Amino acid sequence: MIRYLALAIAAFLAGLASAKAVHAEELVTAISSDLVSIRSNFTGTDIVIFGQVSRDVNSISRSGDYDLVIVVEGPPQEITTRRKGRFLGVWVNRYYETFENVPAFYALASTAKVSDLGSRELLDEYRIGLNHLNLAIARRSSVPLSERDDFRQAFLRLRQQQGLFSERPGAIEFLTSTMFRTNVPLPANIPVGTYKVKSFLLHQGSLLSKTEAKMHVAKTGFEQVTYNLAQKMPVAYGLLAVFFAIFTGWLASVIFKRD
Amino acid sequence: MRCDELRQPIVQLYLPIAEIPVNIFVIFGMGGAVGFLSGLFGIGGGFLLTPLLIFSGIPPAVSVATVTTQVVASSASAVISYWRRRAIDFKLAIMLLVGGVSGSTVGVMLFDLLQSLGQLDLVISLSYVTFLGTIGGLMLFESIRAIRRRKTGAKVTARRPGQHNWIHGLPFKMRFRQSKLYVSVIPILALGGIIGFLGTVLGIGGGFMMVPALIYLLRVPTSVVIGTSLFQILFTMSSATVLHAVSTQTVDIVLALTLMIGGVIGAQFGARMGQNLRGDQLRLLLALLVLAVGMRFAVDLLLTPEDLYSIAIVTGAGS
Repeated sequence: MIRYLALAIAAFLAGLASAKAVHAEELVTAISSDLVSIRSNFTGTDIVIFGQVSRDVNSISRSGDYDLVIVVEGPPQEITTRRKGRFLGVWVNRYYETFENVPAFYALASTAKVSDLGSRELLDEYRIGLNHLNLAIARRSSVPLSERDDFRQAFLRLRQQQGLFSERPGAIEFLTSTMFRTNVPLPANIPVGTYKVKSFLLHQGSLLSKTEAKMHVAKTGFEQVTYNLAQKMPVAYGLLAVFFAIFTGWLASVIFKRD
Repeated sequence: MRCDELRQPIVQLYLPIAEIPVNIFVIFGMGGAVGFLSGLFGIGGGFLLTPLLIFSGIPPAVSVATVTTQVVASSASAVISYWRRRAIDFKLAIMLLVGGVSGSTVGVMLFDLLQSLGQLDLVISLSYVTFLGTIGGLMLFESIRAIRRRKTGAKVTARRPGQHNWIHGLPFKMRFRQSKLYVSVIPILALGGIIGFLGTVLGIGGGFMMVPALIYLLRVPTSVVIGTSLFQILFTMSSATVLHAVSTQTVDIVLALTLMIGGVIGAQFGARMGQNLRGDQLRLLLALLVLAVGMRFAVDLLLTPEDLYSIAIVTGAGS
Protein backbone atom coordinates (compact mmCIF):
# COMPACT_ATOMS: atom_id res chain seq x y z
CA MET A 1 0.00 0.00 0.00
CA ILE A 2 2.85 2.39 0.93
CA ARG A 3 4.45 1.80 -2.46
CA TYR A 4 1.19 2.57 -4.26
CA LEU A 5 0.70 5.66 -2.17
CA ALA A 6 4.16 6.96 -3.05
CA LEU A 7 3.49 6.30 -6.72
CA ALA A 8 0.15 7.99 -6.53
CA ILE A 9 1.57 11.05 -4.86
CA ALA A 10 4.33 11.24 -7.45
CA ALA A 11 1.81 10.97 -10.26
CA PHE A 12 -0.35 13.52 -8.56
CA LEU A 13 2.45 16.05 -8.19
CA ALA A 14 3.40 15.55 -11.83
CA GLY A 15 -0.24 16.19 -12.68
CA LEU A 16 -0.22 19.36 -10.63
CA ALA A 17 2.85 20.67 -12.41
CA SER A 18 1.37 20.14 -15.86
CA ALA A 19 -2.14 21.33 -15.01
CA LYS A 20 -3.06 24.32 -17.09
CA ALA A 21 -5.25 26.97 -15.61
CA VAL A 22 -8.07 27.01 -18.13
CA HIS A 23 -10.86 27.33 -15.63
CA ALA A 24 -10.74 29.43 -12.60
CA GLU A 25 -10.70 26.37 -10.34
CA GLU A 26 -8.82 23.34 -11.46
CA LEU A 27 -9.41 19.87 -10.08
CA VAL A 28 -6.56 17.39 -10.25
CA THR A 29 -6.94 13.78 -9.16
CA ALA A 30 -4.89 10.60 -9.08
CA ILE A 31 -5.74 6.97 -8.26
CA SER A 32 -3.53 4.77 -6.10
CA SER A 33 -3.59 2.04 -8.72
CA ASP A 34 -5.14 2.02 -12.17
CA LEU A 35 -5.03 -1.77 -12.38
CA VAL A 36 -6.79 -3.93 -9.83
CA SER A 37 -5.70 -7.51 -10.38
CA ILE A 38 -7.79 -10.43 -9.25
CA ARG A 39 -5.68 -13.39 -8.19
CA SER A 40 -6.65 -16.59 -6.43
CA ASN A 41 -6.33 -14.92 -3.01
CA PHE A 42 -8.48 -11.91 -3.95
CA THR A 43 -10.96 -10.95 -1.25
CA GLY A 44 -11.58 -7.36 -2.23
CA THR A 45 -9.32 -4.34 -1.94
CA ASP A 46 -9.31 -0.58 -1.41
CA ILE A 47 -8.31 2.07 -3.87
CA VAL A 48 -7.28 5.53 -2.78
CA ILE A 49 -8.14 8.62 -4.78
CA PHE A 50 -6.24 11.85 -4.18
CA GLY A 51 -6.79 15.29 -5.45
CA GLN A 52 -6.27 18.95 -5.11
CA VAL A 53 -8.39 21.94 -5.88
CA SER A 54 -6.05 24.54 -7.30
CA ARG A 55 -6.98 28.16 -7.56
CA ASP A 56 -5.19 30.83 -9.54
CA VAL A 57 -5.28 34.60 -9.81
CA ASN A 58 -8.39 34.44 -11.98
CA SER A 59 -10.38 32.73 -9.28
CA ILE A 60 -13.11 34.80 -7.78
CA SER A 61 -13.16 34.53 -4.05
CA ARG A 62 -16.12 32.38 -3.09
CA SER A 63 -17.99 32.23 0.13
CA GLY A 64 -18.51 28.87 1.73
CA ASP A 65 -16.91 25.54 1.11
CA TYR A 66 -16.49 23.55 -2.05
CA ASP A 67 -18.40 20.34 -2.56
CA LEU A 68 -16.64 17.34 -3.94
CA VAL A 69 -18.01 14.14 -5.43
CA ILE A 70 -15.97 11.11 -6.45
CA VAL A 71 -17.70 8.34 -8.36
CA VAL A 72 -16.23 4.98 -9.29
CA GLU A 73 -18.39 3.48 -12.01
CA GLY A 74 -18.11 -0.03 -13.48
CA PRO A 75 -18.73 -1.23 -17.03
CA PRO A 76 -22.33 -1.25 -18.32
CA GLN A 77 -24.59 -4.24 -17.83
CA GLU A 78 -28.11 -5.27 -18.67
CA ILE A 79 -29.85 -6.54 -15.56
CA THR A 80 -33.22 -8.19 -15.06
CA THR A 81 -35.05 -7.57 -11.81
CA ARG A 82 -37.70 -10.13 -10.97
CA ARG A 83 -40.46 -10.26 -8.41
CA LYS A 84 -41.94 -13.42 -7.04
CA GLY A 85 -45.65 -13.94 -6.81
CA ARG A 86 -47.83 -16.81 -5.69
CA PHE A 87 -48.89 -19.14 -8.46
CA LEU A 88 -50.92 -22.24 -7.56
CA GLY A 89 -49.72 -21.91 -4.00
CA VAL A 90 -46.04 -21.85 -4.95
CA TRP A 91 -43.76 -18.81 -5.01
CA VAL A 92 -42.44 -18.23 -8.52
CA ASN A 93 -40.81 -15.39 -10.43
CA ARG A 94 -43.76 -13.71 -12.11
CA TYR A 95 -42.95 -10.11 -12.99
CA TYR A 96 -39.74 -8.81 -14.41
CA GLU A 97 -38.17 -5.70 -15.76
CA THR A 98 -34.84 -5.35 -17.54
CA PHE A 99 -32.70 -2.28 -17.03
CA GLU A 100 -30.15 -1.55 -19.71
CA ASN A 101 -26.86 0.27 -19.50
CA VAL A 102 -26.62 0.19 -15.71
CA PRO A 103 -23.14 0.26 -14.19
CA ALA A 104 -21.86 -3.04 -12.85
CA PHE A 105 -20.42 -1.10 -9.91
CA TYR A 106 -21.18 2.34 -8.53
CA ALA A 107 -19.50 3.83 -5.50
CA LEU A 108 -20.01 7.46 -4.63
CA ALA A 109 -18.10 9.43 -2.03
CA SER A 110 -18.98 13.05 -1.37
CA THR A 111 -18.53 15.87 1.09
CA ALA A 112 -22.26 16.42 1.55
CA LYS A 113 -25.56 14.64 1.12
CA VAL A 114 -26.28 14.01 -2.56
CA SER A 115 -29.57 15.91 -2.47
CA ASP A 116 -27.76 19.03 -1.16
CA LEU A 117 -25.15 19.02 -3.92
CA GLY A 118 -27.10 20.55 -6.76
CA SER A 119 -30.25 20.62 -8.82
CA ARG A 120 -31.95 17.45 -9.98
CA GLU A 121 -31.07 18.27 -13.61
CA LEU A 122 -27.38 18.59 -12.79
CA LEU A 123 -27.30 15.34 -10.76
CA ASP A 124 -29.20 13.49 -13.50
CA GLU A 125 -26.91 14.79 -16.21
CA TYR A 126 -23.73 13.63 -14.52
CA ARG A 127 -25.27 10.52 -12.90
CA ILE A 128 -24.38 11.72 -9.42
CA GLY A 129 -26.17 9.64 -6.77
CA LEU A 130 -27.96 6.30 -6.88
CA ASN A 131 -31.32 7.98 -7.45
CA HIS A 132 -29.93 9.82 -10.44
CA LEU A 133 -28.72 6.81 -12.40
CA ASN A 134 -30.81 6.57 -15.49
CA LEU A 135 -32.38 3.13 -15.12
CA ALA A 136 -33.73 2.81 -18.65
CA ILE A 137 -36.08 -0.09 -19.29
CA ALA A 138 -35.01 -2.39 -22.09
CA ARG A 139 -37.38 -4.10 -24.49
CA ARG A 140 -40.54 -5.49 -23.01
CA SER A 141 -41.74 -5.22 -19.46
CA SER A 142 -44.45 -7.10 -17.64
CA VAL A 143 -44.79 -4.47 -14.94
CA PRO A 144 -47.64 -1.96 -14.74
CA LEU A 145 -46.50 1.68 -14.77
CA SER A 146 -47.59 2.30 -11.20
CA GLU A 147 -45.24 -0.40 -9.89
CA ARG A 148 -42.16 0.51 -11.89
CA ASP A 149 -40.71 2.54 -9.08
CA ASP A 150 -40.90 -0.50 -6.78
CA PHE A 151 -38.66 -2.36 -9.20
CA ARG A 152 -36.15 0.48 -9.36
CA GLN A 153 -36.01 0.71 -5.58
CA ALA A 154 -35.67 -3.07 -5.22
CA PHE A 155 -32.91 -3.10 -7.80
CA LEU A 156 -30.94 -0.39 -6.00
CA ARG A 157 -31.51 -2.07 -2.62
CA LEU A 158 -30.28 -5.47 -3.87
CA ARG A 159 -27.21 -3.98 -5.50
CA GLN A 160 -26.39 -2.17 -2.26
CA GLN A 161 -26.81 -5.43 -0.34
CA GLN A 162 -24.33 -7.06 -2.69
CA GLY A 163 -21.91 -4.23 -1.95
CA LEU A 164 -21.80 -3.22 -5.59
CA PHE A 165 -23.63 0.09 -5.18
CA SER A 166 -22.85 2.57 -2.45
CA GLU A 167 -23.32 6.19 -1.55
CA ARG A 168 -21.11 7.55 1.23
CA PRO A 169 -21.62 11.21 2.07
CA GLY A 170 -18.81 12.59 4.19
CA ALA A 171 -16.32 9.99 3.05
CA ILE A 172 -13.95 12.49 1.49
CA GLU A 173 -11.26 13.64 3.86
CA PHE A 174 -9.53 17.00 3.47
CA LEU A 175 -5.84 16.81 4.27
CA THR A 176 -5.29 20.56 3.87
CA SER A 177 -7.78 23.20 2.82
CA THR A 178 -7.29 22.21 -0.83
CA MET A 179 -5.95 18.64 -0.77
CA PHE A 180 -8.29 15.73 -0.29
CA ARG A 181 -8.37 11.96 -0.37
CA THR A 182 -10.88 9.14 -0.19
CA ASN A 183 -10.83 5.38 0.08
CA VAL A 184 -13.12 3.36 -2.14
CA PRO A 185 -13.55 -0.25 -1.00
CA LEU A 186 -13.88 -2.70 -3.88
CA PRO A 187 -15.69 -5.84 -2.70
CA ALA A 188 -14.61 -9.39 -3.61
CA ASN A 189 -17.45 -9.81 -6.09
CA ILE A 190 -16.61 -6.84 -8.34
CA PRO A 191 -17.03 -7.61 -12.02
CA VAL A 192 -14.02 -7.29 -14.29
CA GLY A 193 -13.78 -4.55 -16.89
CA THR A 194 -12.87 -0.93 -17.41
CA TYR A 195 -14.01 1.41 -14.65
CA LYS A 196 -14.37 5.18 -14.70
CA VAL A 197 -13.24 7.29 -11.80
CA LYS A 198 -15.04 10.63 -12.03
CA SER A 199 -14.51 13.61 -9.79
CA PHE A 200 -16.71 16.67 -9.62
CA LEU A 201 -16.02 19.99 -7.96
CA LEU A 202 -19.17 21.90 -7.12
CA HIS A 203 -19.92 25.13 -5.40
CA GLN A 204 -23.39 26.06 -4.27
CA GLY A 205 -25.05 23.84 -6.80
CA SER A 206 -22.97 24.67 -9.86
CA LEU A 207 -20.31 22.53 -11.41
CA LEU A 208 -16.89 24.18 -11.47
CA SER A 209 -14.65 21.42 -12.73
CA LYS A 210 -14.56 17.68 -13.34
CA THR A 211 -12.02 15.01 -14.13
CA GLU A 212 -12.34 11.48 -15.41
CA ALA A 213 -9.78 8.68 -15.24
CA LYS A 214 -9.84 5.03 -16.22
CA MET A 215 -9.17 2.07 -13.99
CA HIS A 216 -9.01 -1.60 -14.98
CA VAL A 217 -10.20 -4.55 -12.96
CA ALA A 218 -8.81 -7.74 -14.45
CA LYS A 219 -8.16 -11.33 -13.53
CA THR A 220 -4.46 -12.10 -13.73
CA GLY A 221 -2.34 -15.21 -13.77
CA PHE A 222 -4.12 -18.50 -13.20
CA GLU A 223 -7.58 -16.91 -12.81
CA GLN A 224 -7.20 -15.20 -16.18
CA VAL A 225 -5.91 -18.29 -17.98
CA THR A 226 -8.76 -20.40 -16.60
CA TYR A 227 -11.43 -17.85 -17.42
CA ASN A 228 -10.12 -17.25 -20.95
CA LEU A 229 -9.94 -20.96 -21.62
CA ALA A 230 -13.53 -21.42 -20.44
CA GLN A 231 -14.72 -18.57 -22.67
CA LYS A 232 -12.62 -19.06 -25.79
CA MET A 233 -12.01 -22.80 -25.95
CA PRO A 234 -15.01 -24.26 -24.12
CA VAL A 235 -14.65 -27.74 -25.64
CA ALA A 236 -11.02 -28.03 -24.51
CA TYR A 237 -11.99 -26.64 -21.10
CA GLY A 238 -14.80 -29.16 -20.72
CA LEU A 239 -12.56 -32.06 -21.75
CA LEU A 240 -9.88 -30.85 -19.36
CA ALA A 241 -12.42 -30.79 -16.52
CA VAL A 242 -13.47 -34.37 -17.38
CA PHE A 243 -9.83 -35.44 -17.57
CA PHE A 244 -9.08 -33.98 -14.12
CA ALA A 245 -12.16 -35.66 -12.71
CA ILE A 246 -11.30 -39.10 -14.11
CA PHE A 247 -7.70 -38.71 -13.05
CA THR A 248 -8.73 -37.80 -9.48
CA GLY A 249 -11.09 -40.78 -9.40
CA TRP A 250 -8.39 -43.10 -10.72
CA LEU A 251 -5.84 -41.76 -8.26
CA ALA A 252 -8.26 -42.33 -5.39
CA SER A 253 -8.86 -45.92 -6.48
CA VAL A 254 -5.11 -46.53 -6.56
CA ILE A 255 -4.40 -44.89 -3.21
CA PHE A 256 -7.30 -46.50 -1.36
CA LYS A 257 -7.26 -49.89 -3.04
CA ARG A 258 -9.86 -51.93 -1.19
CA ASP A 259 -10.24 -55.38 -2.65
CA MET B 1 5.76 -9.59 0.26
CA ARG B 2 4.09 -7.70 3.03
CA CYS B 3 3.88 -8.93 6.60
CA ASP B 4 0.09 -9.07 6.79
CA GLU B 5 0.01 -11.27 3.69
CA LEU B 6 2.31 -13.76 5.37
CA ARG B 7 0.37 -13.84 8.59
CA GLN B 8 -2.99 -14.39 6.91
CA PRO B 9 -3.57 -18.10 6.22
CA ILE B 10 -4.79 -18.97 2.74
CA VAL B 11 -8.41 -19.72 3.53
CA GLN B 12 -10.24 -17.70 0.92
CA LEU B 13 -9.97 -18.94 -2.63
CA TYR B 14 -11.25 -16.88 -5.54
CA LEU B 15 -13.25 -18.98 -8.00
CA PRO B 16 -12.45 -17.93 -11.59
CA ILE B 17 -15.85 -18.84 -13.07
CA ALA B 18 -18.23 -18.28 -10.15
CA GLU B 19 -16.34 -14.97 -9.62
CA ILE B 20 -16.61 -15.01 -5.84
CA PRO B 21 -14.16 -15.97 -3.12
CA VAL B 22 -15.07 -19.00 -1.03
CA ASN B 23 -13.66 -20.51 2.13
CA ILE B 24 -11.61 -23.41 0.80
CA PHE B 25 -12.08 -25.50 3.96
CA VAL B 26 -15.84 -25.12 3.89
CA ILE B 27 -15.97 -26.34 0.28
CA PHE B 28 -13.49 -29.11 1.01
CA GLY B 29 -15.59 -30.12 4.03
CA MET B 30 -18.79 -30.18 1.98
CA GLY B 31 -17.11 -32.39 -0.60
CA GLY B 32 -15.86 -34.63 2.20
CA ALA B 33 -19.23 -34.87 3.97
CA VAL B 34 -21.14 -35.64 0.78
CA GLY B 35 -18.35 -38.05 -0.24
CA PHE B 36 -18.75 -39.82 3.10
CA LEU B 37 -22.49 -40.25 2.55
CA SER B 38 -21.96 -41.35 -1.04
CA GLY B 39 -19.45 -43.98 0.08
CA LEU B 40 -21.81 -45.06 2.85
CA PHE B 41 -24.87 -45.44 0.66
CA GLY B 42 -23.23 -46.19 -2.68
CA ILE B 43 -24.74 -43.13 -4.36
CA GLY B 44 -23.18 -40.30 -6.37
CA GLY B 45 -24.29 -37.65 -3.92
CA GLY B 46 -25.01 -35.01 -6.57
CA PHE B 47 -28.51 -34.48 -5.22
CA LEU B 48 -27.00 -33.48 -1.87
CA LEU B 49 -24.06 -31.50 -3.13
CA THR B 50 -25.91 -29.27 -5.62
CA PRO B 51 -28.38 -27.94 -3.01
CA LEU B 52 -25.56 -27.49 -0.48
CA LEU B 53 -23.63 -25.35 -2.94
CA ILE B 54 -26.72 -23.34 -3.86
CA PHE B 55 -27.61 -22.73 -0.21
CA SER B 56 -24.03 -21.59 0.47
CA GLY B 57 -24.22 -18.83 -2.12
CA ILE B 58 -22.69 -20.31 -5.29
CA PRO B 59 -24.85 -19.31 -8.29
CA PRO B 60 -27.26 -22.19 -9.15
CA ALA B 61 -26.00 -22.46 -12.73
CA VAL B 62 -22.39 -22.85 -11.57
CA SER B 63 -23.42 -25.31 -8.84
CA VAL B 64 -25.29 -27.59 -11.23
CA ALA B 65 -22.61 -27.59 -13.92
CA THR B 66 -19.74 -28.06 -11.49
CA VAL B 67 -21.39 -30.92 -9.62
CA THR B 68 -21.64 -32.85 -12.90
CA THR B 69 -17.81 -32.74 -12.98
CA GLN B 70 -17.58 -33.84 -9.35
CA VAL B 71 -19.91 -36.78 -10.10
CA VAL B 72 -17.50 -37.83 -12.88
CA ALA B 73 -14.70 -38.07 -10.34
CA SER B 74 -16.66 -39.99 -7.72
CA SER B 75 -18.15 -42.43 -10.25
CA ALA B 76 -14.77 -42.94 -11.97
CA SER B 77 -13.14 -44.33 -8.85
CA ALA B 78 -16.10 -46.67 -8.23
CA VAL B 79 -16.32 -47.79 -11.88
CA ILE B 80 -12.68 -48.88 -11.76
CA SER B 81 -13.31 -51.18 -8.80
CA TYR B 82 -16.46 -52.67 -10.39
CA TRP B 83 -14.53 -53.15 -13.63
CA ARG B 84 -11.91 -55.18 -11.77
CA ARG B 85 -14.70 -57.38 -10.43
CA ARG B 86 -16.24 -57.66 -13.93
CA ALA B 87 -19.55 -56.41 -12.56
CA ILE B 88 -20.46 -54.21 -15.52
CA ASP B 89 -22.75 -55.15 -18.41
CA PHE B 90 -21.10 -53.06 -21.13
CA LYS B 91 -23.70 -53.70 -23.79
CA LEU B 92 -26.52 -52.59 -21.51
CA ALA B 93 -24.45 -49.62 -20.32
CA ILE B 94 -23.80 -48.48 -23.88
CA MET B 95 -27.50 -48.64 -24.77
CA LEU B 96 -28.33 -46.62 -21.65
CA LEU B 97 -25.57 -44.22 -22.64
CA VAL B 98 -27.01 -43.60 -26.12
CA GLY B 99 -30.22 -42.53 -24.39
CA GLY B 100 -28.27 -40.65 -21.73
CA VAL B 101 -26.25 -38.47 -24.11
CA SER B 102 -29.36 -37.49 -26.09
CA GLY B 103 -31.14 -36.77 -22.84
CA SER B 104 -28.38 -34.53 -21.57
CA THR B 105 -28.20 -32.64 -24.89
CA VAL B 106 -31.89 -31.77 -24.52
CA GLY B 107 -31.23 -31.03 -20.84
CA VAL B 108 -28.52 -28.48 -21.60
CA MET B 109 -30.79 -26.76 -24.13
CA LEU B 110 -33.60 -26.53 -21.59
CA PHE B 111 -31.15 -25.37 -18.92
CA ASP B 112 -30.06 -22.51 -21.16
CA LEU B 113 -33.64 -21.56 -21.99
CA LEU B 114 -34.81 -21.66 -18.36
CA GLN B 115 -31.88 -19.57 -17.26
CA SER B 116 -32.77 -16.85 -19.75
CA LEU B 117 -36.42 -16.98 -18.68
CA GLY B 118 -35.48 -16.70 -15.00
CA GLN B 119 -37.30 -19.92 -14.14
CA LEU B 120 -34.25 -22.17 -13.65
CA ASP B 121 -34.37 -21.96 -9.85
CA LEU B 122 -38.07 -22.78 -9.84
CA VAL B 123 -37.67 -25.83 -12.09
CA ILE B 124 -34.72 -27.06 -10.04
CA SER B 125 -36.71 -26.68 -6.80
CA LEU B 126 -39.89 -28.26 -8.18
CA SER B 127 -37.97 -31.17 -9.66
CA TYR B 128 -36.12 -31.77 -6.42
CA VAL B 129 -39.37 -31.76 -4.46
CA THR B 130 -41.04 -34.14 -6.92
CA PHE B 131 -38.22 -36.61 -7.45
CA LEU B 132 -36.72 -36.63 -4.00
CA GLY B 133 -40.20 -36.79 -2.47
CA THR B 134 -41.27 -39.73 -4.62
CA ILE B 135 -38.05 -41.72 -4.47
CA GLY B 136 -37.50 -40.97 -0.79
CA GLY B 137 -41.07 -41.99 0.02
CA LEU B 138 -40.81 -45.25 -1.91
CA MET B 139 -37.47 -46.09 -0.33
CA LEU B 140 -38.74 -45.31 3.15
CA PHE B 141 -41.77 -47.53 2.63
CA GLU B 142 -39.69 -50.35 1.20
CA SER B 143 -36.99 -50.26 3.87
CA ILE B 144 -39.48 -50.17 6.75
CA ARG B 145 -41.20 -53.20 5.25
CA ALA B 146 -37.86 -54.98 4.88
CA ILE B 147 -36.87 -54.25 8.48
CA ARG B 148 -40.27 -55.46 9.74
CA ARG B 149 -39.96 -58.61 7.65
CA ARG B 150 -36.54 -59.29 9.09
CA LYS B 151 -37.82 -58.76 12.65
CA THR B 152 -40.86 -61.03 12.23
CA GLY B 153 -38.74 -63.56 10.36
CA ALA B 154 -40.97 -63.67 7.28
CA LYS B 155 -39.45 -65.10 4.12
CA VAL B 156 -38.26 -62.55 1.57
CA THR B 157 -39.68 -63.23 -1.87
CA ALA B 158 -36.77 -63.64 -4.23
CA ARG B 159 -36.80 -62.50 -7.84
CA ARG B 160 -38.16 -65.16 -10.12
CA PRO B 161 -36.24 -65.27 -13.44
CA GLY B 162 -39.31 -66.02 -15.50
CA GLN B 163 -41.33 -63.11 -14.12
CA HIS B 164 -42.63 -60.77 -16.84
CA ASN B 165 -44.26 -57.37 -16.91
CA TRP B 166 -45.61 -55.10 -19.67
CA ILE B 167 -42.08 -53.98 -20.58
CA HIS B 168 -41.26 -57.43 -21.88
CA GLY B 169 -43.99 -57.14 -24.50
CA LEU B 170 -42.32 -54.23 -26.33
CA PRO B 171 -40.69 -54.70 -29.77
CA PHE B 172 -36.98 -54.27 -30.86
CA LYS B 173 -35.70 -56.88 -28.47
CA MET B 174 -32.02 -57.26 -27.77
CA ARG B 175 -30.07 -59.88 -25.87
CA PHE B 176 -27.83 -58.86 -22.95
CA ARG B 177 -25.76 -61.88 -22.06
CA GLN B 178 -24.13 -60.68 -18.89
CA SER B 179 -27.45 -59.57 -17.39
CA LYS B 180 -29.19 -62.68 -18.77
CA LEU B 181 -31.85 -60.47 -20.29
CA TYR B 182 -33.78 -60.40 -23.55
CA VAL B 183 -35.69 -57.13 -23.60
CA SER B 184 -36.76 -54.31 -25.89
CA VAL B 185 -34.29 -51.43 -26.31
CA ILE B 186 -37.10 -48.85 -26.02
CA PRO B 187 -37.34 -48.82 -22.19
CA ILE B 188 -33.53 -48.86 -21.96
CA LEU B 189 -33.10 -45.85 -24.23
CA ALA B 190 -35.98 -44.05 -22.50
CA LEU B 191 -34.56 -44.73 -19.04
CA GLY B 192 -31.09 -43.53 -20.10
CA GLY B 193 -32.63 -40.48 -21.74
CA ILE B 194 -34.76 -39.45 -18.77
CA ILE B 195 -31.92 -39.85 -16.30
CA GLY B 196 -29.42 -38.06 -18.57
CA PHE B 197 -31.92 -35.23 -18.97
CA LEU B 198 -32.63 -34.89 -15.25
CA GLY B 199 -28.97 -35.26 -14.38
CA THR B 200 -28.02 -32.39 -16.63
CA VAL B 201 -30.80 -30.07 -15.51
CA LEU B 202 -30.52 -30.87 -11.81
CA GLY B 203 -26.79 -31.57 -11.47
CA ILE B 204 -27.28 -35.10 -10.17
CA GLY B 205 -25.90 -38.41 -11.38
CA GLY B 206 -29.27 -40.08 -11.00
CA GLY B 207 -27.91 -43.32 -9.56
CA PHE B 208 -30.57 -43.32 -6.87
CA MET B 209 -33.21 -43.41 -9.64
CA MET B 210 -31.32 -45.61 -12.10
CA VAL B 211 -30.61 -48.49 -9.71
CA PRO B 212 -34.23 -49.10 -8.62
CA ALA B 213 -35.46 -48.66 -12.21
CA LEU B 214 -33.00 -51.26 -13.52
CA ILE B 215 -33.91 -53.70 -10.77
CA TYR B 216 -37.67 -53.32 -10.68
CA LEU B 217 -38.52 -52.40 -14.28
CA LEU B 218 -35.93 -54.24 -16.35
CA ARG B 219 -35.14 -56.97 -13.80
CA VAL B 220 -31.40 -56.63 -14.22
CA PRO B 221 -29.58 -58.91 -11.72
CA THR B 222 -28.38 -56.96 -8.67
CA SER B 223 -24.80 -58.21 -9.17
CA VAL B 224 -24.31 -56.05 -12.27
CA VAL B 225 -26.77 -53.24 -11.52
CA ILE B 226 -24.54 -50.84 -9.60
CA GLY B 227 -21.48 -51.24 -11.82
CA THR B 228 -23.55 -50.76 -14.98
CA SER B 229 -25.39 -47.78 -13.56
CA LEU B 230 -22.13 -46.15 -12.47
CA PHE B 231 -20.50 -46.77 -15.85
CA GLN B 232 -23.45 -45.12 -17.56
CA ILE B 233 -23.39 -42.20 -15.10
CA LEU B 234 -19.66 -41.70 -15.65
CA PHE B 235 -20.12 -41.17 -19.37
CA THR B 236 -23.38 -39.25 -19.20
CA MET B 237 -21.93 -36.83 -16.67
CA SER B 238 -18.70 -36.49 -18.68
CA SER B 239 -20.70 -35.44 -21.70
CA ALA B 240 -22.86 -33.17 -19.52
CA THR B 241 -19.71 -31.45 -18.25
CA VAL B 242 -18.52 -30.75 -21.79
CA LEU B 243 -22.00 -29.62 -22.89
CA HIS B 244 -22.30 -27.27 -19.90
CA ALA B 245 -18.81 -25.92 -20.57
CA VAL B 246 -19.74 -25.21 -24.19
CA SER B 247 -23.23 -23.81 -23.81
CA THR B 248 -23.17 -21.89 -20.53
CA GLN B 249 -19.47 -21.69 -19.53
CA THR B 250 -20.48 -22.36 -15.93
CA VAL B 251 -18.17 -25.25 -15.04
CA ASP B 252 -15.80 -23.97 -12.36
CA ILE B 253 -12.72 -26.16 -12.51
CA VAL B 254 -11.26 -24.83 -9.24
CA LEU B 255 -14.50 -25.46 -7.35
CA ALA B 256 -14.80 -28.90 -8.96
CA LEU B 257 -11.26 -29.93 -7.98
CA THR B 258 -11.73 -28.82 -4.37
CA LEU B 259 -14.99 -30.78 -4.13
CA MET B 260 -13.50 -33.86 -5.81
CA ILE B 261 -10.54 -34.14 -3.50
CA GLY B 262 -12.76 -33.79 -0.44
CA GLY B 263 -15.25 -36.17 -2.00
CA VAL B 264 -12.95 -39.07 -2.83
CA ILE B 265 -11.38 -38.98 0.63
CA GLY B 266 -14.77 -38.83 2.37
CA ALA B 267 -16.06 -41.69 0.21
CA GLN B 268 -13.37 -44.05 1.50
CA PHE B 269 -14.40 -43.52 5.12
CA GLY B 270 -18.06 -43.78 4.22
CA ALA B 271 -17.56 -47.06 2.38
CA ARG B 272 -15.74 -48.56 5.35
CA MET B 273 -18.49 -47.55 7.74
CA GLY B 274 -21.15 -48.79 5.32
CA GLN B 275 -19.82 -52.34 5.59
CA ASN B 276 -20.82 -52.43 9.26
CA LEU B 277 -24.45 -51.48 8.64
CA ARG B 278 -27.31 -53.63 7.37
CA GLY B 279 -28.66 -52.97 3.87
CA ASP B 280 -32.21 -52.19 5.01
CA GLN B 281 -30.97 -49.85 7.74
CA LEU B 282 -28.82 -48.05 5.19
CA ARG B 283 -31.77 -47.69 2.85
CA LEU B 284 -33.92 -46.31 5.67
CA LEU B 285 -31.28 -43.69 6.51
CA LEU B 286 -30.85 -42.80 2.85
CA ALA B 287 -34.62 -42.49 2.43
CA LEU B 288 -34.80 -40.06 5.37
CA LEU B 289 -31.91 -38.05 3.93
CA VAL B 290 -33.52 -37.86 0.48
CA LEU B 291 -36.85 -36.82 2.01
CA ALA B 292 -35.17 -34.16 4.15
CA VAL B 293 -33.54 -32.53 1.12
CA GLY B 294 -36.84 -32.66 -0.75
CA MET B 295 -38.65 -31.05 2.21
CA ARG B 296 -36.11 -28.26 2.38
CA PHE B 297 -36.93 -27.31 -1.21
CA ALA B 298 -40.67 -27.65 -0.59
CA VAL B 299 -40.49 -25.29 2.38
CA ASP B 300 -38.68 -22.69 0.25
CA LEU B 301 -41.37 -22.89 -2.40
CA LEU B 302 -44.30 -22.65 0.00
CA LEU B 303 -43.17 -20.12 2.59
CA THR B 304 -43.33 -16.44 1.78
CA PRO B 305 -39.79 -15.53 0.68
CA GLU B 306 -37.88 -12.98 2.73
CA ASP B 307 -37.22 -10.95 -0.37
CA LEU B 308 -39.65 -11.03 -3.26
CA TYR B 309 -37.18 -9.42 -5.60
CA SER B 310 -34.09 -10.85 -7.24
CA ILE B 311 -31.71 -9.62 -9.91
CA ALA B 312 -29.82 -11.39 -12.68
CA ILE B 313 -27.25 -10.04 -15.10
CA VAL B 314 -28.31 -10.47 -18.72
CA THR B 315 -25.33 -9.08 -20.63
CA GLY B 316 -22.19 -7.14 -19.86
CA ALA B 317 -19.51 -7.67 -17.25
CA GLY B 318 -20.05 -10.68 -15.04
CA SER B 319 -22.95 -12.19 -16.97
